[in-house]
Amino acid sequence: MSTLTALARIEAARTGSAQPLATVRHCHLGEQPLVLIPLKLSGEAAAPLAAMVGTARKDPALLVVAQPRNRDLRFGFAAELAALVLSYVESRQAGTETVPTKDGEGRQRYSDAPQVLVPNPGGITFLRLLGRSTRFRRIDGPYPVEASVPLLGRWLTWLCDRAEQPGSSVLMPMTSMLAGHWATGQSTFEDANLGALLGWLDPPEGMTGPQAALRAEDPLLCPPAGPTTDPGFDNEELAPLLAAYDRAPADQARMAATDRLRRALRRQLEPTWELMWRSIELLRALPEGAHVTGRWEGDRESFTHFAEGVPEGFPQAKRDSAVAAARRLIRLERAQDELDVQRALDDPLVMAEHRLTGEAFAGIVVAAQPDRLDTTGKTPKLRPYLQVRTSDPLRVADGDTVHNAGRKGQKALVVDVNAGTVLLELSSGMGRKRVAEPGSVPEVGDRVCFTTFAADFHRSPVLPPLEQTPWTHGGPPEAYVPGDDEAVAYPPTAADALEVWE
Amino acid sequence: MRESPESLEQRIAGLRSAVRRALAGGDRTAARALRAELRAAEDSWERAVLGGGDPKPVLLPVREQVHHALSLLGVPAAPKLIVAVHDAFFSGELASSRLTSLRRDEERSFRSAPYSRPYYLCAALTADLLAPARGLLVISTWPLPTRIVGPYSPRADFLTSAIRVAEHTLRTGAGGDAVRPLLWRFAANIPGAAGDHPHDADPRRLLTAATAELEVHTGKDTEQRRQAADRARRQLGDVEQLFGARLAAAARAQNGRLP
Amino acid sequence: MTDLAARLDRLRGDAPARNHDARTIAALTTNPGCGRRGLMDAAGIDKDAVARYLGFPAPFGQSQFAIARGNAFEKQVKDDGFAELFTLLRERLGLPVPQVAIESLDEVGGNHGSELRHAQTRRALARALAGDGSTLFDHPLLRLDIAGQPAYLEPDVLAFRLGDKFYVIEIKSFAIIDGQADPEQVAAAARQSAVYVLALRRLLTQLGHPATAVSHEVILVCPENFSNQPAAAFVDVRKQLSVIERQLSRISRIDDLVAALPEEMTFELGDGLASAIRAVEARYAPDCVSSCELAFFCRDEARACGSTDLLGIAVRDDVGGVETLATALGLADGSLAPSPEQVEIAAKLRLARLLRAQALEGVA
Ligand code: SF4
Repeated sequence: MSTLTALARIEAARTGSAQPLATVRHCHLGEQPLVLIPLKLSGEAAAPLAAMVGTARKDPALLVVAQPRNRDLRFGFAAELAALVLSYVESRQAGTETVPTKDGEGRQRYSDAPQVLVPNPGGITFLRLLGRSTRFRRIDGPYPVEASVPLLGRWLTWLCDRAEQPGSSVLMPMTSMLAGHWATGQSTFEDANLGALLGWLDPPEGMTGPQAALRAEDPLLCPPAGPTTDPGFDNEELAPLLAAYDRAPADQARMAATDRLRRALRRQLEPTWELMWRSIELLRALPEGAHVTGRWEGDRESFTHFAEGVPEGFPQAKRDSAVAAARRLIRLERAQDELDVQRALDDPLVMAEHRLTGEAFAGIVVAAQPDRLDTTGKTPKLRPYLQVRTSDPLRVADGDTVHNAGRKGQKALVVDVNAGTVLLELSSGMGRKRVAEPGSVPEVGDRVCFTTFAADFHRSPVLPPLEQTPWTHGGPPEAYVPGDDEAVAYPPTAADALEVWE
Repeated sequence: MRESPESLEQRIAGLRSAVRRALAGGDRTAARALRAELRAAEDSWERAVLGGGDPKPVLLPVREQVHHALSLLGVPAAPKLIVAVHDAFFSGELASSRLTSLRRDEERSFRSAPYSRPYYLCAALTADLLAPARGLLVISTWPLPTRIVGPYSPRADFLTSAIRVAEHTLRTGAGGDAVRPLLWRFAANIPGAAGDHPHDADPRRLLTAATAELEVHTGKDTEQRRQAADRARRQLGDVEQLFGARLAAAARAQNGRLP
Repeated sequence: MTDLAARLDRLRGDAPARNHDARTIAALTTNPGCGRRGLMDAAGIDKDAVARYLGFPAPFGQSQFAIARGNAFEKQVKDDGFAELFTLLRERLGLPVPQVAIESLDEVGGNHGSELRHAQTRRALARALAGDGSTLFDHPLLRLDIAGQPAYLEPDVLAFRLGDKFYVIEIKSFAIIDGQADPEQVAAAARQSAVYVLALRRLLTQLGHPATAVSHEVILVCPENFSNQPAAAFVDVRKQLSVIERQLSRISRIDDLVAALPEEMTFELGDGLASAIRAVEARYAPDCVSSCELAFFCRDEARACGSTDLLGIAVRDDVGGVETLATALGLADGSLAPSPEQVEIAAKLRLARLLRAQALEGVA
């Protein structure tokens, strides 16, 4: 956090209503996100209990496992979920665009990608485990599952892996999305409750933020957004309903029991469903940040690449090799840096954070020599001078290079810093002639902002190619092929035999 | 008298709004109580509409079933194992819930008319205090050392059970889905007894492996049990020798043992 | 009984004392600076009842599914003479085959009395230390003195002897999946196990053996990869141990806190309860909600006085430790003159406010 965010939170607490942390939306929000709210059985790692899924607010699908401890019912649920998720994924593959390649042939890239929204980070953890528990399942052998089940596992795993990439929008927890754009007057701990968070952002008529948040903490009024259910619900409602299902002697009675279970779970899920769509509305109302499209392109790229590999590929490995892990870490760090810079460039409110720390400064151009030439070298070079007055704290010194936040690729050298004015010598971003392109040099009276960090990233290889992996990292990795152990590691081990004991 | 479905429907609707009212008033305790009532009403509605469902009573002689399973094992066993052995080798249903009150019933019967039955199902006795060991059943006609458990007995008895089950399987040629999990339960936890796979739980290999490990423990175990049995014969009356010492007697036993 | 103990008893009034358990002792370490909880715990006050009485019931509760799962897994690992556990210990730690003796310490001839069981535990461990004892000790009853009061720890835990080292084994039902478990749950288990390690060490010291005979590594037994098959993992609890030891030594300095309270004060349920509690200084932090029954009461209090604690330690640090919302805002808009040590943060807050306003203005 920063002093700026802290101040926003304090203001929110004082006024009782949330304060903006962003002036634009920093994530992609497609026309048709898939909202997915999973619930699991308490005490189990990943035993699904129910889910509410859909792309339309008016039309959620409710999936329920009538007895989460029953293996067949669990995989029945996975198959139902697979049908929905896979057809959603397929619908994102409807359109393609051509990306130019070196050989001039061009290749195809999907013009859309899946976007799954879950209530909170716990939802992602659950999907990751569900992916892990389904992608290795076999469609033949002792405990066969439907072909869609392992496929669901692989897609869920892709979504969860991709979600770790900063700036990706394919799978996002709503609480993090909201908290990235608004500050509430409560702690981040309490912000993890979607109901409480939204209470601050959008309190019902006649309520203040804190009142609405307090109300949302009552699990009877606002069931938790999952994936763990409220213990009170478990003990008071769910337990008797599951018992009734187990006791039901005949099909008809079992159907009645299932119906009641569905009604109870629907009541637990519906409030969160509404919160999800209300949150989407709030986020949609923000204009999209300029760099969002570029990052979404990265997501589409990853989607296209993964989708192409699905027909032949194997399920993702259980663990990364040392090299893959190192590569991944570097990639994620790089993406984070990139995201931080892009957010600042897209959003004056984020830039203000950097101005506060002196990594950027903004001010007014008070004097300019747009046609100044540097004649010290063999050929004269265009090097306009700008004098900028600013009230920001300055951390730059003579000889530093700074970047114009308003004009990509424009660099300047700090020539002199003196009592709130900075003298800059522009060195690029003005065209190739000896006279600057019209509009490329700020004029007197313009507001400008310069940063100490650059907007463009060079994508240099940071690790040796795979086959040159040093021995310290285990040498070149073997290609991953799921062996027999992988295949049987699942159903028919001792573990499963023991399950039979229960 | 049974309530009619119609009046139940009405009551359910009434309860629903009562729950909502309680919630609006913030009275969660009342809300939970009302919810429970609501569920009961829904249950009755289901019974009224769908008819049916008291579970059919099971009237099998539990003590005999337990006796069969225990005789097969020949050592003190927990209800879970008894049920598993029963399910693997005998017909009929044995619900573990019916084993809970068994020991107390047996003791009551013995006290009111001693030795009137050919056998009683009792708790094993702990070697240190000669008190009833929780959750372990034995047959009264077994020799006293067998009915006593010392520190090595849980393992020794597990291995003996494995041997007896393997022998029984080989003798009767039993097999299939019912027996395999039982064999595997033993094999998975005895060195050298398991194949790679629950599906090849082999009774012969189990027998060899269990016998080999039992060889390691049996000396110490038998000796401790024998000593405790001597003590029990000296210190305990008939009932106590079968059903265990109360605490006072236990303290006596302990004083007798510790310097 | 010491003076302090007597005074703590009086603070509690007629209510029965609530015993510490490993969970509450471990919780001491999550907000060590809070005198309010330190005092109430030392006096054995039922904080849950207090919170309910004050109209701020604690948001805790356990699902019966989670409880049932935990019990079933523990039972499974211990079934058949601890068969699965022995398999695990033999495979992972090379436990020699002859070592299979088990001492059951969960009752003494049908009696569950704490002192009796604790004495039994001592005897069993003494025998083991003398070289003639069991390998596994099921449900030992350990003891830790807290502020002069014995707290019996009722662990569903095992002590395990290998060579001349003792280990604490904790059976937990959360899953280890591909070698990883939920870090929060592992941390909670580590905190709890550390309490057991400490208590076991104290016991061994009393028996004349070095504390190091108890390993600082505890063995966590959890189901693996969505199955019920148990797996073992070592968890180093040295850090947790030192935190807990430090906390416990501080608790004994509860005298100072008590001395500052009016002689007649009590925490009995009644009209004066809220004000009595307010008289003892608290240190609210948002994560109190997950560790202390009084959290909602203290949060309400923090709200009422507009404390920056409400927003969490990070926010408070970012505004230079300023205590109230009003002060922070006053410094930011210049309506409040900063004290000498606030000059720097005041300047920063003013600038922050200005920059925020500028940025938002641009949008409007
Ligand atoms: S909730 Fe209150 S009493 Fe409990 S630790 Fe936090 S501040 Fe202290």
